[in-house]
Amino acid sequence: MPANTLALLEPDLREVSLEQGAVLLEPGELIENIYFPLTGLISLLVIGKDGNFIETSTVGREGAVGLHSGLGKRRSFTRASAQIGGKFSTIRAARFEHVANGSAPIRDVILRYTEVLWAQTQQIAACNAMHGASARLCRWLLQSADRIGSDEVRLTQEFLAQMLGARRTTVTLLAQRMQATGLIRYRRGRIVILDRKGLEACACECYHVMHDEKLPRALGVNL
Amino acid sequence: MPMYYFNLNDDETVVDTDGTDLPDVGAARIHATGVARELTSNGGGILTQSWSGWTMSVQDAHGTELFSLTMSDFGDGDPEK
Repeated sequence: MPANTLALLEPDLREVSLEQGAVLLEPGELIENIYFPLTGLISLLVIGKDGNFIETSTVGREGAVGLHSGLGKRRSFTRASAQIGGKFSTIRAARFEHVANGSAPIRDVILRYTEVLWAQTQQIAACNAMHGASARLCRWLLQSADRIGSDEVRLTQEFLAQMLGARRTTVTLLAQRMQATGLIRYRRGRIVILDRKGLEACACECYHVMHDEKLPRALGVNL
Repeated sequence: MPMYYFNLNDDETVVDTDGTDLPDVGAARIHATGVARELTSNGGGILTQSWSGWTMSVQDAHGTELFSLTMSDFGDGDPEK
């Protein structure tokens, strides 16, 4: 966001820390706060009737959760939860809407980011349908590592399985093989990427397509 | 609930280190089928280029095999698919 635009919001922004798994929004809930990830990553999840869910988008430092509520009161379509804990900047939606009303650049950013999120959601929809659990797991690990800027990602296989919409046994077997071939090391809720190039070779193309800074550029969107 | 383990065998074994709590063998069979589908759908990825020769051996907590599945019944693992 341009510095002078950001300056309009600055007085109303608060910094909060969120743990992995923290739920910010449930489907149908009125968006009351907007969250800008500074270090963490938010997953947007579609929940099935049986309680299972699958990730359909992610929001990192390129965007914000609930940004479109700057255009007026909005409800969340998905669950939004912290996939990777970290620091987030937050603002009340009503306050953000008020500032956005008086700022064409902010409204422009909202629309541009909505385009980026829309493109990303299409890519993940296609990825979930077209790509196997193995390729999606590699993609997911790389994406997560990029967002936190570290090759050590703290997460359980249970959590990973939920994000990928796969059974935990599937993830365990894949992780065992990834460990045996030297791609990762897994221990007690921590995955360390040992061979990034190898992992990239096993990931689907979606990893490269959705790279957070690359996606807006590819769309010709200047956030 | 008893624990069930879903190991993959080819020339080598990929061990299900965690196991899964399930009510009975019937549930283990459903679980095994689901895992086999997930692993074989859209290719074999890091596990294999081809599923021919692979089996999933489902074992109880004592390591006794209860049944096994032929992985190629679920997909051929063609990496182009």
